[in-house]
Parts: sequence; structure tokens; C-alpha cells
Amino acid sequence: MGTSPARASGGGTGLPRLLDQRLLGGVFRQRLAMWMAGCACTATLLVTGCSRPTESLPVVEIEHAISPQPVRVGPATVTLKLADRAGKNITGAHIAIEADMSHPGMSPLFAETQETEPGRYEAHLEFQMAGDWVILLHVTLPGGKKLERQIDVRGVRPGVRSN
Amino acid sequence: MNPSSIPALETPESLPFDLMRVPGLGHLFRWRYARPLLQAPLLILSVIMILHGLFGPALAPKNLATTLSWLHFRGVLVLVLLCAGNFFCLACPFMLVRQAARRFLKPRFNWPRALRNKWLSVGLFVLILFTYELFDLWSSPWWTAWLIVAYFLSVLVVDGFFKHASFCKFVCPIGQFNFVASTLSPFEVKVREQDVCTRCHTKDCIRGRREPVSDLVVIRGCELALFQPSKVGNMDCTFCLDCVHACPHDNVGILSRLPASELMTDPIRSGIGYFSRRKDLAALAIVFTFGALLNAFGMVSPVYAVETWLGKILHVNHEAPVLGLIFTFFLIVEPVLLLGLAAWTTRVWARSPLRLLPLAVRYTYGLVPLGFGMWLAHYCFHFLTGLYTLIPVTQNAIASLGRPFLGEPRWALTGLPANVVQVVEIGFLVLGFAGSLVVTYSLAEDDSPDRPLRAFLPWAAVCLILWFGSMWLMFQPMEMRATMMSG
Repeated sequence: MGTSPARASGGGTGLPRLLDQRLLGGVFRQRLAMWMAGCACTATLLVTGCSRPTESLPVVEIEHAISPQPVRVGPATVTLKLADRAGKNITGAHIAIEADMSHPGMSPLFAETQETEPGRYEAHLEFQMAGDWVILLHVTLPGGKKLERQIDVRGVRPGVRSN
Repeated sequence: MNPSSIPALETPESLPFDLMRVPGLGHLFRWRYARPLLQAPLLILSVIMILHGLFGPALAPKNLATTLSWLHFRGVLVLVLLCAGNFFCLACPFMLVRQAARRFLKPRFNWPRALRNKWLSVGLFVLILFTYELFDLWSSPWWTAWLIVAYFLSVLVVDGFFKHASFCKFVCPIGQFNFVASTLSPFEVKVREQDVCTRCHTKDCIRGRREPVSDLVVIRGCELALFQPSKVGNMDCTFCLDCVHACPHDNVGILSRLPASELMTDPIRSGIGYFSRRKDLAALAIVFTFGALLNAFGMVSPVYAVETWLGKILHVNHEAPVLGLIFTFFLIVEPVLLLGLAAWTTRVWARSPLRLLPLAVRYTYGLVPLGFGMWLAHYCFHFLTGLYTLIPVTQNAIASLGRPFLGEPRWALTGLPANVVQVVEIGFLVLGFAGSLVVTYSLAEDDSPDRPLRAFLPWAAVCLILWFGSMWLMFQPMEMRATMMSG
């Protein structure tokens, strides 16, 4: 009477057997653990990396206005008012302006502000294309502290055609 | 007779130019690891784009994910398709990851029979166009990065479960774009001598080269079910060169041909069948052509007036339904009206024996050159006007790591002047228009040898309408908003 050899584990096809062997193997378990640890690290990095760190900055109120309204392609004036927590004008600040489009492929515009009266700063820009713009303010306060603010300028309209 | 002993015939001078015969290039393509070599840099670039998209600047013009995806990749892609062939699919980084994953994950299933067509990929193609507009992907490095991640995951899931190149053939929207556009490419992966194939018994190009004893596949055959001797054109060909490596007679080359020639005829094609019987392929050609105009329309000022007007009429403030209506008009209503009317006129005027739908399906492929002209004009505008922006964006990315060895970002670098690029755009549109006229006239000659002009004119009118539409779009002021319906 013949006997057939017992299968090492489960299934008759090669693939499940191979899988079983791998599942039972310590090397595979180790690899799985490493892989899962890698995934966890990546997930942690993604979650933490996507939130910007906050830093304690001096409380500065920045009011802004852009003229003419509605904003069109062409020259525009950006007016900024800087005040501290008590509402007192901040004079002697240095504000560099950078304007970017929302689409890649466009070079940013740069401008420096001039203090036209205490706490009031003005810069001139020329919007070159209709669409959404983002104005970044790089502010250096009189004490040397630096801060950045962002102004969204949505829907700059096409310029008035001359023809 | 042992098939491997069949000698490849000498290349006569009358044969087309063969890229595989170019010294250096031919050696590279024949090398078994040519594909991974070309894929590896793109994979590294993809990883950089993902990381910069997630952790880099939130502003699109300063981020490598958005700059490389929406300017450089798209521009280079269409130019390579125009000047050579589907070489992006050859160097596709997603497939490198898939290959690596298949060392551990052996797919067990065949792709479902009901999905062995282009309907799913047509839907995904439309979905990509829709989400691009709805979520303003061009303005979001974060979303762009996640789109790339999603692509990698989709490849792993689909090709992890399903055998062969299911993702490439039935799912990948970029692949479908490349397949349609490459019908206009000047090169094609093709057999050099049909006689050699006739005498070949092993058919390694489709079955794969096997070990004589164990019958194990050592060099894979075509995963997209394209049997080289009866393969016609570039549709569904990823230029993966598996057939080149598998052929024991060195009888597969990358041969030159007349661009769009495969659209002018309707033979039975391996892995595809007849173009004229493939409604799904015709739908893909429609989305490719009309989607080109739609995608450009989303970037010009009039779209916002239309959206605001529609929003007011429908009393909706959300973008999705309004955008859905615009998509329905561009991708369903407009094609049905134009193609339906042209097919009806052809049927009546040229007394074509074909019914309306088969007629429309047959001539739809004639619009592909126009569509490609529009994609070229649109993508090359962004690519060429923002050509050099990659330099300051890269400088900025490296500087942000604390080692500005490429210097401070030179933000003044942009690209070619818009008025110069506009000439190039017009050139592409004229080229596309001419191509569509030639293809539709060839089809008309085949269909109605007695009255080719009568069969041709309705389709020429459709081409003219689309061409005028494209030209009008190109002269509209561009308006790149990430918001709409703001009034």
C-alpha cells in the first residue's frame, strides 16, 4: 500500500505553498515589519510635514489696499499700513514685495515699498497677466525682526483694450 | 527548420529609416536593460517632484512638482510624440515600480473581459481633465504631488492583481493620450521583413522567448497583445521594445513612416481590430480632439464669463455643476451635433452605403491631427514661455536645503517671448488642420471613389469649424485663475 507524502502546508499549487513558507519564515516577518515601519514613518512625515510650524512673531497689523479696483492687467499701486498691537503706526520698516501668479512658468514681480507717511507704505506693480496672483510681503521691522505675509489677489481682469 | 537559423534579410536602400540601425542608439535599444536605464532618471525625478510638492513651497511657480508636471513634462511629451514616437511610455517610471513590485506580487487574474476596451480609460481621461479644472491642479503643488502618488498606487494595484500590461492598455489616461497622439508620430515599432515572420514558427514577439527545456519565459513578448507581423501603427504600442528583445531574428525595428498614415487606412490590426468598428476608440479620439479645445478654453478669459452666466441662470455657486455642463457641451453635445450632421450630409450627398454611426466612427479619426495640433499649441505655449523657469525653481529648491551651490534663484529667467511662441502655436494649428484634411480626404476617396469631394466636404467643414475655434482660443487673453464664478 502506497503512501503519499504529506504536504508541508496547505494548498496543492506552488504559489500558496510558497506564500505559506514565506509567511512562516522569520525573514519574511522581519521584512514585513520593516516595510510597515517604513510606511508608518512615511505617513508620519507626510502628516507632520504638511502642516507648517508656527513661530511666535510680534503682533503686527497689516492693512492692505490695491488700486485701481477692480484690479486689471497693467499698473497697480499696493498700499500697506503697519500698526502694532496698540494701533500705533510702525515707521521705518522695510517691506519688499513679491507678486507671483498661481500658474507655474511665470516669473515673479518684485518691488520695494516707500514710506509715504508714518506707518503707510506704497509700492507700484505691473500685473502682466489676468488671473490669480499672490503677493508676498517680506517685512523687516525696525528692530530687525522679519516676518512674511501673503495677500491673495484673486481674478485680476484682462486689461482694457486700446484698439 | 530551426527558426533561429532563419537569416534576417539584408536591408535594401528602399526600406524606411530604422532608428535601431543608428550606431549607439541601436545598441542601447537592443540592450536588455535599456528600459530601466531610461526609466530610472524619470523615477528619481518623480520622487523629487513628490517630495517637493508635499514639503516645498506652496506657490506653484516656485515648486518643482507643478513646474515640471504642468510645463516641462507636458511640453516635452508632445514634442517627442511629434518628432519621434511614444518614447515616454518606454521610459515610464510607473512601470519600473511595477516591475520591481512584480518580483514579490505575482498577478493572478486576467483583466475582466467586459473591460477589455477603452471605455474605462476614456472615462478616466475625462476625469483627469475635469479634476484639473475643478481643483486647479496647476496651482497646487500638494495636489500635483498626490496625483503622482495616486498614479503609482493605481499602477501597483491594477498590475498587482491583473496579468500583462492591463494598466497600460485599459486604464492609463496618459497612455491613451500617447497612443492617440503617436498615430501622428514619424516612427513606429514594426517588423522589417514580413517574409522572416512568415517563416518564423516560435512567434517569440508575442509569446516571449522561452527556455527550450523548462519552457519558462526568459524574455517577455508583447504584454499589450500586439502581434508584430499583423500590428499596424502605434495604437496601443508603448515602445517597450519587448518584441525587439524577444525576436530571435532581429527583425523588429523602429521604422520611419508617414505620420498619420495609419489613420488613412482601415486594415484589421493585431490587438485592436478595425478602427471603424471600435466605438470606444472613436470616443477616445473625440475626447482627445474636443478635450484639446476644452482644456485650452479653461485657460482663457471668456470661460469665466460663461461660468458666471451659467451660475446665475442655474442659481448655483458651486463650480462642479457648471463645469459639468461645460464638459457635457464640449465632449458630448458639440461632437454629436458636428459629427452627426457631417455623417448625415455625407450619407445623403455622397450616397454612402454606411449608416450614420459607422460613418461618424470612421471619420472621427480624421480629427485627431487637429486635436494634436491644439494640444501641441497649448502645451508648447506653457513650455516655451516658461522654458527657463526650471532653473530658478531648482536653485530655490537646492537653496532651501541650506546648500545653495547653484547660486541664488534667478527669478528673471522665464522663457521665449509670447509673440514668438504664438507663431509656433499658429504653425502647429495649421499643421494639424492640414493633417486632418489629408486624412479625411483619404477616407473619402476610399469610401466614395466616384464622389470623393462630396464625402470629404462635410468633414472638411467640421475641421474648419474646429480650426477656427482653436485659432480664436489662441488669440484670447490668457487668464489663469484658481477661482471661478467670482463675478
